[in-house]
Amino acid sequence: MTTAMTCTRLTIYTVAGIFLQVIGLSIFVFGFFPVKPTLSGVSDLESYRDPFCDSAPNPNESELHPEKLRLLYQELSGISSKYDRLILMVIDGLPAEFVLGKDGQPPRKAWKESMPYTQSLLANGDAIGYHAKAAPPTVTMPRLKAMVSGAIGGFLDVAFNFNTQALLDDNLLGQFFRIGWKMVMHGDETWLKLFPGLFMRHDSVSSFFVKDTVQVDRNVSRHLPNELNNDDWNLLILHYLGLDHVGHTGGRNSPLMASKLKEMDDVVRTMHLKATMDHSQDEGQTLLIIVSDHGMTESGNHGGSSYEETDSLMLFIGLGSNISDYAAATNNVAFQVDLAPTLAILFGVPIPKNNVGVLVPGTLDSLRDYEQLRALELNSWQLLRLMQAQLPSSLFGGFSCNCFLYGACEGLGSDINECFGDKEKQLICLFKNAAVLHSIWKSKKLIESSSSMEDFSRALDAYNAFLKTASEWLASKTTEKPVLLLGLGVSAILLSCVVCVTLFLSLFKEVYHEPKDRVCRGSHLLNSEDVFVLAVPLIFVISMGSSSMVEEEHYIWHFMVATFYLLLLFKTAKSFDFSKGMNILRDYKLGSIFSLLISGRLLKGWHQGGVNWTYLPDISKWLEQVGSGYVKRIQLISSFIVISLGLFTLFRTRSKRKIVCVLAFGFTTCGFLILLHAWRYQDDMFEVSTVTAKLIYLLLSISAIGAALALPWSMLNKDKCFLAEAGDCLYLIGSAYTLSWCLLQLLLQQPINSVPILLLLIQILAISGLSSKDSQVNEWVKIAALYYMGMAGHFALGNSNTLATIDVAGAFIGISSHSTILSGILMFMITYASPMLFLLSLVMHIGAYLRNHSHSTISAHRDTNLGEALKLRLGFPCLVPLCINSILLTAYTVVLLLMRNHLFVWSVFSPKYLYVCATTLCTYIGVFVVAVTPKRFIFLLFLVIHAISFLETTLIGNGTCLGDGAALIVTEPANTCRSWFCGGDAVLMVLGD
Amino acid sequence: MEETKKKKKPGTSVGVSGDVSISALGAFFVHLITGLFLAVGFWVARNKYSVDLISDPSFTLRLLWSIEFPLVVIIYSSFRKNPEKCSYSKAVGRSILGLISGAFLNVMGAIALGAPIGMQYLPKTIHWSFLMSVFTFVPATAVYGASWTDWHRVFASMKPSGNIEYMIFIPAYGAMIGGWFGAWPMPLDWERPWQEWPISVSYGAIGGYIVGQTVSLSLITFLRKHKNLKVA
Repeated sequence: MTTAMTCTRLTIYTVAGIFLQVIGLSIFVFGFFPVKPTLSGVSDLESYRDPFCDSAPNPNESELHPEKLRLLYQELSGISSKYDRLILMVIDGLPAEFVLGKDGQPPRKAWKESMPYTQSLLANGDAIGYHAKAAPPTVTMPRLKAMVSGAIGGFLDVAFNFNTQALLDDNLLGQFFRIGWKMVMHGDETWLKLFPGLFMRHDSVSSFFVKDTVQVDRNVSRHLPNELNNDDWNLLILHYLGLDHVGHTGGRNSPLMASKLKEMDDVVRTMHLKATMDHSQDEGQTLLIIVSDHGMTESGNHGGSSYEETDSLMLFIGLGSNISDYAAATNNVAFQVDLAPTLAILFGVPIPKNNVGVLVPGTLDSLRDYEQLRALELNSWQLLRLMQAQLPSSLFGGFSCNCFLYGACEGLGSDINECFGDKEKQLICLFKNAAVLHSIWKSKKLIESSSSMEDFSRALDAYNAFLKTASEWLASKTTEKPVLLLGLGVSAILLSCVVCVTLFLSLFKEVYHEPKDRVCRGSHLLNSEDVFVLAVPLIFVISMGSSSMVEEEHYIWHFMVATFYLLLLFKTAKSFDFSKGMNILRDYKLGSIFSLLISGRLLKGWHQGGVNWTYLPDISKWLEQVGSGYVKRIQLISSFIVISLGLFTLFRTRSKRKIVCVLAFGFTTCGFLILLHAWRYQDDMFEVSTVTAKLIYLLLSISAIGAALALPWSMLNKDKCFLAEAGDCLYLIGSAYTLSWCLLQLLLQQPINSVPILLLLIQILAISGLSSKDSQVNEWVKIAALYYMGMAGHFALGNSNTLATIDVAGAFIGISSHSTILSGILMFMITYASPMLFLLSLVMHIGAYLRNHSHSTISAHRDTNLGEALKLRLGFPCLVPLCINSILLTAYTVVLLLMRNHLFVWSVFSPKYLYVCATTLCTYIGVFVVAVTPKRFIFLLFLVIHAISFLETTLIGNGTCLGDGAALIVTEPANTCRSWFCGGDAVLMVLGD
Repeated sequence: MEETKKKKKPGTSVGVSGDVSISALGAFFVHLITGLFLAVGFWVARNKYSVDLISDPSFTLRLLWSIEFPLVVIIYSSFRKNPEKCSYSKAVGRSILGLISGAFLNVMGAIALGAPIGMQYLPKTIHWSFLMSVFTFVPATAVYGASWTDWHRVFASMKPSGNIEYMIFIPAYGAMIGGWFGAWPMPLDWERPWQEWPISVSYGAIGGYIVGQTVSLSLITFLRKHKNLKVA
């Protein structure tokens, strides 16, 4: 027999559990989604100086004429740039295996024969190709970013880039723009999203129509003859999407693949012939680079981290380097990020600041030896700058400005030593070696004027060793997952889940194992809906392992909730007894269940998108097609009904308090303003009047908070049964919360979502209609059901588990200046409208329960104290949502960890995890509100208790006119006082969280 | 899949138990024949019309229920309650009514659980619901008519008395639960033709029905042995 929990202990354990969960979650998130420190700003003249020198002020660099800047760069870098034009041809989704073969073997015959020209270039030594390993997620936009900036973005960078898709980090295109290059882009519109306003000419195609494999490329190629004849551009980007589309529709072995490769080969031939012709006419050289952003799997998909997907191509044509044979031209390995520094050096611009790539070996062969070493030095300096941001500065203590040049570095002898020790020390040591060897070579060259080949190759090797190690270390910083952190986080989350479930079970035992209930215990425990409610989290835990179930989660929520309604219906029908004739109460109940069923089905039909079935017709799409006039009318009608339903709820308690009338007036005003706002609403969102929106925010928060603060005072001077009165008050506060949340959502959500808001409100009212006095559904079951309904409603409002469905437009209503925090809060409110609504309605539920059970509660707990009663009332509404949420969170954390190498880890599982984290936050906020609202009562009860104990000492008689609650207090003053103190402690604990 | 079936109109409760009993062997044969007719339905669909549940669901479902329905009516009407008060033809008549009302309730339940609504789904849904009704409603209406107490006792309280009641309610529940589970693969992105409504649900329901028949048979034999032991 376990000892009964006191409510203080219960609260302490709960708060500890939550605390543990928060800590575990944050550790896990930071472990799984590492946030790399990035350097802001762009590389400029400084990048040509030693990183240990004091940054000399660059006075008027920004005012420099682009052409002058270009010359300055060239002068400082000391590397002559041979090329003045660049054609970057991006073939979306082309695996390097198609062109270069795999493991030293030439490509398959079908592929090789489809690209005769490219293969001949490789065989002649005119081209050199690399297997450029791409980092996951292998989807177009992050890969393009990696190519032009040299940085590997973390997942969170992608996820939290709501406001703009433009690439703000330092990148090649920006550098080219600064030196006055003219750029032209034809192809995928992703480039335009990344670099708005940078291109002189562009013709973008969309990758939306995946079935289109022909037109999408024809739209690019039709510009090719004109552009090749033009000489007004320096950079021409051609992004062909067709091959990726072929892959998506038919896989690697699609019959269309050969002809698509042939088409690409023809483009290469056209460009190369033109480029060589220009070269022969001595018009400056054009470098032709063919890259792919990612590869594809056998079935043509991409996104994950398998070899087939990360094996992208990097092919340089016209480098003029000496390549001996076909194997040397094809059997090379590089990283995708290496493109950025290589191009920067070849075209004489600074290497982008956050680049982690290294110069592609073999591309610099045409440079003179001092230029090669200088290029490697520049790359090393840039990486060293990046490392300085991530390593403690004490490691760099020995370095000073240009100390290698003069051999004056403190504590660092000019001898070369083997590098051991941990990674960081090793890196410093490798850099030192390279710098020392470089300076030795330089000094020798000055003296002897004929460079020694041996010194040169030693310096070259040392630089390459440093660059390789540094690049790997930096890249691993952005992709590695620290096992210790992850383990710690997962175990903390697991522990907190165990704590929550144990608390729930102990409370459950206490409530349902009382001797009074033991008689009907069997029926209590074996109810079909109880079992079902317990099974729902399990079903979700199992279904979360499947990526398509995660994508279509809304089906499962609706299916579960609808099954729950049907079970309720079954139960009601079971208790039918015709011998008693028709019963109003029962009919009311049946009506509630039917309205639940109907509204649930409508909600499901409203948005049934998900991820894979977005083309399915649903009510919202249909209404939007019919016309915005209808949407507006429907919005007005449903707003009106929401307001009237809310007022009806407020007045249902039949209390004639003034404050209720004030509240009602406040809500009516808000409702009127919202109606007015909806009436004036035109198609564009920016018409929204900020003043009206702000006024509505103000009124709603005043109404909700005012209700919570002022209502408890009004119950002091009543001589009704105290608990019933408190229940009434809580009910009123709960309905005030619910109504203000609904009205807020009517303002924030898209007009089409006003009907789902109404339906959700109806569901809440119907559920509260079910909890009448003879309710046979256990309290915890009802709370769990409310949580499930909240989640089902979350998806009914058009949300899904991709980040794309977040409504960004609504997040700027009523905000006059751009503020990330405020719009973030609004975005959270819009996205979590439904779960929050149902959590807030728990206050209403507690109130109704207290009112309905006021007599039975008192009689049942006459022998215990009121603190116990409070614990029993507040325990389930707080613990059940926390429990369900922590089970789902724990399960999903484990799933994410197991799926870390899954194909869809970045496209499906990680966004879902962000949603799970946000749901956790939402649950915390909701439970906090639920726990804190009755705090007012506790203070007041405390006052009442003191007053009554004073009365007791002065007057004789035990509560003749004070009602049940007071009578209890009078008979057991000491006990009750202590217990209420306990309640106060409990809530203060919750507050402290 | 549906629990809606409990919504029958209040009727006169005939509580007298003058029902025809059935032996375990008889129950076995009844289940065998109904199961066989289902197989016959599939066979006819495949060999005579060369369709199946996947290529033409509505036609196959129609074929299935129109073959199964007369058989169920004929068999279960002979087990009707109070055979002296209620003629055979009356039992047949009320089971036709039961077919329609049961189909309606099944449709309602399926829609509540998320079955798609639309003209292209209408024939499939209707024929599916008739088949479900044959599994769930028709035997019970043939035996009990509209007697609320009997319905309540058998389906809600689950206190069956006699073999025939086991034979009615366990396969009925089996069909519903099987259909519920049959809906699970529908949202998956396997892009198989059988994931369409109502194919997987029909498979689930038929599977559940057959499992229910087996369970009811084993219960009947087990209980009989138990009773015999008690008597001895």
